[in-house]
Amino acid sequence: MKKKFIYRVLSLVTIIVVGSTVSCKKYLTENPVAQVGVATAFSNVANATEAVLGVYSKLSGDQGYGIRLSMYYTVDQDEMVGPANSAAPDNDRRDIARYGASASNAQLEAPWENLYTGIERANICIKYIPLMSAYTSGSATDQASLKRLYGEALTLRAQFFFELIRNWGDVPAPFVPSADQTTLYLTRTDRDVIYNHILGDLLTAESLVPWRTAVASRDERITLGAVKGLRARIALYRGGYSLRNATATMSRDADYLTYYKICNSECADLMANRNQHTLEPTFQGLFQNNIDAHTLDPSYEVLFEVAMGGGTGVADSKLGYYDGPRVNNLGNSSLTATPTYFYAFDPNDLRRDVTIAAYFTNLDGTKVLQKLIALPSGKFRRDWITNPAIAPTNLVQYFGINWPILRFSDILLMFAETDNEINGAPSAAAISAFNEVRLRGFGGNATQANTAATPTTYAAFFNAIVSERSFEFGGEGIRKYDLIRWNLLNTTITNTRANLTLMLNKQAPYNNLPQSMYYLNASQTLVYGNSLYAATPSATPTNNTKVAWVSSLTAAYNTNVAQLFTPNHGELLPIPLVSIQANPALTQNPGY
Amino acid sequence: MIKNLLSVCLLLFLTITALAQTRQVTGTVTEKDTKEPVIAVSVIVKGGNGGTQTNVNGVFKLTVPDKPGTVLIFRSVGYKAQEVTLTAGQTSVNVALESNSEQLNEVVAIGYGTVKRRDINGSISSVTAKDLKDVPVSSLGEALAGRLAGVQITTSDGSPDASVKVLVRGGGSITQSNDPLYVIDGVQVENGLASLSPQDIESIDVLKDAASTAIYGARGANGVVIITTKGGHAQKTRVNYNAFVGFKKLARELAVMDPYNFVTYEYERSRGNTVDSTNFSNDYGNSYAALSQFKTVKPIDWQQQVFGQPAFQQQHNISITGGDTSTTFNISFTDDQQNENVVNSTYDRKLLSFHLDHKANDHFRYGFNMRYSDQLVSGVDVSSASSSTYNNLRNTIKYIPFVIPGLTQAQSDQELFNESQLAGNNLGLINPITNSNAQYRKNYQYVTDLNGYVSYAFNKYLTFKSTIGVDLGKQILDNFDDAVTFNAQINGGGLPLGGINQINTNTMDLSNVLMFSNAAANSQKHDINIILGNEFYNIDMQGLNNQFKLFPNGIAPTSALNQLNQGTIVPGYPVNAYSESHLLSFFGRGTYTFDKKYSLNATLRADGSSKFEPGHQWGYFPSASVSWRISDESFMKNITAVSDLKLRYSHGTSGNNRISDYQTQTLFATNVNGTAVFYPLNDGTTTVGYAPQNLINEKLKWETTVSDNIGVDFGLFNSRINVSVDAYQGTTHDLLIQVPVPTSSGYPTQFQNVGKTQNKGLELQINAHIIQKGNFSWTANFNVSYNTNKVLALAPGQTSAFYNSGWGVSGQPADFILQVGKPLGSVYGYQSAGFYTTNDFNYNSANNEYTLKPGVVDPSKTIGVAEPGLTKFADLNGDGVITTADQKILGNTIPKITGGLNQTFTYKNFDASVFINFQDLVSVLDASKIEFTNGYTANTNLLATENNRWHTVDANGNVVEKIVTVGSTQVAVGSSPDVLNAINAGAKVPIPITGSAQFYVNSGAVENGAFARLNNVTLGYTFRSQFLNRLKINRLRVYVTGNNVALLTGYSGYDPAVNTRTATPVTPGVDYSAYPRSRTYLFGLNLTL
Repeated sequence: MKKKFIYRVLSLVTIIVVGSTVSCKKYLTENPVAQVGVATAFSNVANATEAVLGVYSKLSGDQGYGIRLSMYYTVDQDEMVGPANSAAPDNDRRDIARYGASASNAQLEAPWENLYTGIERANICIKYIPLMSAYTSGSATDQASLKRLYGEALTLRAQFFFELIRNWGDVPAPFVPSADQTTLYLTRTDRDVIYNHILGDLLTAESLVPWRTAVASRDERITLGAVKGLRARIALYRGGYSLRNATATMSRDADYLTYYKICNSECADLMANRNQHTLEPTFQGLFQNNIDAHTLDPSYEVLFEVAMGGGTGVADSKLGYYDGPRVNNLGNSSLTATPTYFYAFDPNDLRRDVTIAAYFTNLDGTKVLQKLIALPSGKFRRDWITNPAIAPTNLVQYFGINWPILRFSDILLMFAETDNEINGAPSAAAISAFNEVRLRGFGGNATQANTAATPTTYAAFFNAIVSERSFEFGGEGIRKYDLIRWNLLNTTITNTRANLTLMLNKQAPYNNLPQSMYYLNASQTLVYGNSLYAATPSATPTNNTKVAWVSSLTAAYNTNVAQLFTPNHGELLPIPLVSIQANPALTQNPGY
Repeated sequence: MIKNLLSVCLLLFLTITALAQTRQVTGTVTEKDTKEPVIAVSVIVKGGNGGTQTNVNGVFKLTVPDKPGTVLIFRSVGYKAQEVTLTAGQTSVNVALESNSEQLNEVVAIGYGTVKRRDINGSISSVTAKDLKDVPVSSLGEALAGRLAGVQITTSDGSPDASVKVLVRGGGSITQSNDPLYVIDGVQVENGLASLSPQDIESIDVLKDAASTAIYGARGANGVVIITTKGGHAQKTRVNYNAFVGFKKLARELAVMDPYNFVTYEYERSRGNTVDSTNFSNDYGNSYAALSQFKTVKPIDWQQQVFGQPAFQQQHNISITGGDTSTTFNISFTDDQQNENVVNSTYDRKLLSFHLDHKANDHFRYGFNMRYSDQLVSGVDVSSASSSTYNNLRNTIKYIPFVIPGLTQAQSDQELFNESQLAGNNLGLINPITNSNAQYRKNYQYVTDLNGYVSYAFNKYLTFKSTIGVDLGKQILDNFDDAVTFNAQINGGGLPLGGINQINTNTMDLSNVLMFSNAAANSQKHDINIILGNEFYNIDMQGLNNQFKLFPNGIAPTSALNQLNQGTIVPGYPVNAYSESHLLSFFGRGTYTFDKKYSLNATLRADGSSKFEPGHQWGYFPSASVSWRISDESFMKNITAVSDLKLRYSHGTSGNNRISDYQTQTLFATNVNGTAVFYPLNDGTTTVGYAPQNLINEKLKWETTVSDNIGVDFGLFNSRINVSVDAYQGTTHDLLIQVPVPTSSGYPTQFQNVGKTQNKGLELQINAHIIQKGNFSWTANFNVSYNTNKVLALAPGQTSAFYNSGWGVSGQPADFILQVGKPLGSVYGYQSAGFYTTNDFNYNSANNEYTLKPGVVDPSKTIGVAEPGLTKFADLNGDGVITTADQKILGNTIPKITGGLNQTFTYKNFDASVFINFQDLVSVLDASKIEFTNGYTANTNLLATENNRWHTVDANGNVVEKIVTVGSTQVAVGSSPDVLNAINAGAKVPIPITGSAQFYVNSGAVENGAFARLNNVTLGYTFRSQFLNRLKINRLRVYVTGNNVALLTGYSGYDPAVNTRTATPVTPGVDYSAYPRSRTYLFGLNLTL
């Protein structure tokens, strides 16, 4: 009897234990369903496309070019300044604009991490796409699609690294997915090593990515023009000055012309393919009718732009809200032109009133002229937005405006600049490229543009390039980095402050400027009541309102411009504190 | 009611007639085993009102009615009550009472089995139905607070579906959940407190030390709450009806400025700012003197408007229970309806439960339980886990306390919104009633639990039991925000938005246990109990979240939510979620007791979890405990005062595997941490992307807690007083933490097993039958716990980490710090030093400038330019400037002391209970106060304490102090110190700052959170059975109850028992926009047919 019980018990226990142990391995293996693993993500073209779009997505939004990379980090310089500091340092965007950022600045960590997240996503795509069976043995269409995706991932990674280098100098440079790294505690890699790596990557990408005419559907994805243009730009920076970590001085390599030649030949290539990309007929049209109107330009002047949309900080931009003129007092109008920049434009240069919007708009559409020291940037402006328009009462802050990274006028000017450098004087082709950009800025009026007088000597042509790039790209986040690669940032800031002081003191060449300006009341367009270039008339024109103009300048305003900039320090941002704390192998930038 | 009165009269009449003829009875009462006389035994006449007590010799004398069948009842604490029927003319009766250590014989659940409390070696706190019967509340969490030693229960705030945080002996985990494991009727479930009504609880046992929880292995580290629900008994079928009706009332109101003080403050605030002062004169006129008209303007008390509505509530519970020796059953239905004090807010819950147990024969038993809960909470919560903008309390407190004269309410609302919006950070104000009406919320929760067991007894020693349970949870969250709300304004393009989020969580638990006990052998010396078992536990979660925007203006919420396609889908939606994990376990436990005195208990559990990689999947959790019943030793025999004495010691390990699933595999998804991944090609939002979500760690495993517990239990004076004292120390290591990794990896953190925390504490529990004399009894249960917590280590090389609880403005410094050597819940911020006075400045009477004296700390880097009346922070590092380096730990928000005292009284048919719970040595971060005392936004009200601020205008409205720009720097200028001092003789608080620094955490907002709450007072009356018998009523009791009757605290906010920022366990004890608690008054009845 007793034995029988024991047998029963033993057999039961055995069944349970053995049964569960055998199936145990399977029972304890669970795979994700709502998410997918690596194998699925790179199983076919559709999924691989989604993975690459995941890389692209790090370009847009608040932490990408939606606001921080495009608008916080790119001021102050001689064109545009960020919002003025109040009494206390804000440890925020104002301090960045003043070159007074500390490592704990609230606006540094997230973009830094965002760029590295982009790199990690690109690294995963770069590793797995070429391993896909369809990459080597798929249909011709599939192979072409996957090659393009691979090339796009290489290009995007190059852009992320480029953005890191120009803001932070030498940076950790992972080129494989983090899961494959033997250590995550990477030290900083010399920027030249990274530059050379990504220039090589872009060359590879050129063989993978098709021209835009070879792509059926039109959207913001990268085509060959963008790859070549980006390679030109990166080569140009590789050949330019930068603040070196080792020596804490601004310097450039002796063989810089090697890289200028790369830039020159890529530009020449693009200029030889005008059927792919060329200038839009009018400068204002590009911004008002295309970029601000949510329409891709028909001339494909914008070779590479960041798609923005969705109405939130995830993938949209605050272009036109953070900067640009206010409407119904909505908006920040945080980027304002320096008075000297406004007056640097030739009165006939049509680009001035595109780049600088001197007004705010009331609820009823009427314009209010702003003070000279508070003229908002103008390329991305709320009252130009159409398709669809934003109602003046709408509180939204994201307008879906794309950020143009690279325009064809930059190709022309890079060509002209490098040609001058390589040959010691501008060739006819260089002068022609220069004139093409300038002429459009003057609406095609060669007399006003005075293209006949374009310099032909090295130094004069270089100076003309320095100015022309400012007139062409104001407010597009290019100036600060141009000045750094020319090692002109310190000089330019000093000159700007000196010129502002001359203007404040009503001295030449600013001695004839109006102290106040009048503008027409209740007008749907801004109509000045007096000349911008002559003393203010004593009588108020009929139906006009007076606004402080040159008289709005103060010593405080002038010192505020790039207030804390010191050379061999301010050219780079501090490595963000959280990232330094997370990786003791990281060293800080000079002077931080 | 008339019937009741009649019955009372009848009973009185009967009593009087009974006194007509009497005789005297005498006798002696002895202890059955020892034959010793028992003193103070109460002797009463059943059904009568005579009574007496035995004297020191156990002798009593009592006059009884001289009629046959008179029954005497003998009662004494620690003994079973005895009834003796007197024969006609009997005058002497001797009684031997049998010992009944009621408490020690209580059955306690220990996981896969039960033991008598006297046999416990570990540390377990229990609550039974008896303790809960006087607490007519619908939330189990509310019912338990303060009743269990070592178990700290915090309800997030006063809302009906407030989340309940249960912390057993402090928290061990840092960033992961510290929730205990819930086991209901032998089945593990995910959230045990939500789907149960207090009325359905038979008992709750909380396993606290690792030796007790080790039987639950990888899920036991945070304690185990074992809940047993009511079953049937072998008795005549009975119908119970329990009901209460009552109302709630706002317990406390915060004093805000009245209309006149409001306008004079706004006048002062707007000076020197062109926009604000223009707005001010547009709203209230230009003349300071004329502001006196606001002394008579009709004030609006928004708190009364929003929280003050009378809230009727009722609950009905009907149960049918009964059975015979082979089958028992219990069916219970509860209907709970509450209106809330907050406008548009209601709570409705229906619970159905069914229990069936059947004994087929001597070997085979089975049972089946079913529970269904259907809960609907309507109305928007006052607090939100999101940023300040979405927290509603600020609208109620800060809203202008009147309608601007000459404007309609709607115009006034628009005006106020525009002006208050100017400061930025979306901290404008919306009329709280309008806002509440515009926010439609329905939270439906359905829980279905099905479980059953079969048990087979092979013989009298060996039994096999298999238990299976499924728990199906479904939650549907309907939300809709009309155009006026912030959500619509900011995220919806000014048009309504809304959606439906559906979450299903299902668990399945199967356990098989083989039990051996030699109890049937009646061994005198050896007691052996062994169990062996295994368990399968699956949990899967599915979610589908659909959110739409751009609904047409004016659409009704129900219309929008039922035809979602009238809107446009929000980019990134719908969001799908799915996860599944499996746990496979084997366990065993053996107990050996020698001579009923020396006991040894050992447990081992092995758990395999699908959350980890092969090689790290299995964890082993051993434990052991010993006990010694000293009172049974011969040398204790003469110490009669000590009726029981036992010493316990335990040591054990248990684990915690609560991390999200699949952390060992790279996961691609279309959203990362709730953020959609898409690239808006051609402005489209449908070009979604895949992105990796996590940095894998293949070496992940459990976090493990090792704890020691030493305890002593003793009973005094025949168990009239029972005391348990426990001391413990637990260390949790291999913590599962999201550790910061180098950001160049592309990820901010990675799950790693690093760090170490420690909890130490003392617990005391006393149950005392203080008086049991005749018709009167008084018993008291008291418990108090002391727990301290310390972080021993974080990730290698890491000594501290900051956490931001997420209220306030952008750029706000973190308000919590995790620091090695310091406890969890450490609030971090500036030490307040009052405000600057004129003595801190040198005054230049030539230009009226105030400049800081040398050595006085300079606030300009953090707060703004120094001026008299400006809030002052202490310069902790002594560098003369306030910077982030001057912050420190300001307090700890996890209470070190918690406890409760419950007292019950009975007198004849009356019963009463008074329950007080308390906490001490705790701080609360009153973030609401920070916001309600600052001047950041224009045209918003402040707490009345700000009437005593430092004034910068004099009695005639002249500005006497201001900040001006001289050259390129800002300086304070003002009237002479004498003038300022005269105006500000009564100033107690600084100038409300308008800058963002006013949101910075400072010690002024870290308040003492100690409190004692008169949590529950009940007075009941049970009707006499003679009368009820005629009405075929078995039992009838009526009672009145007050919940949250009084609160003794120095805390200045609504209530110090608060925890509103619960996104991570790192930021406990923050009072931000908490739903105010109400006071409840109820009338109820318990009826048994």
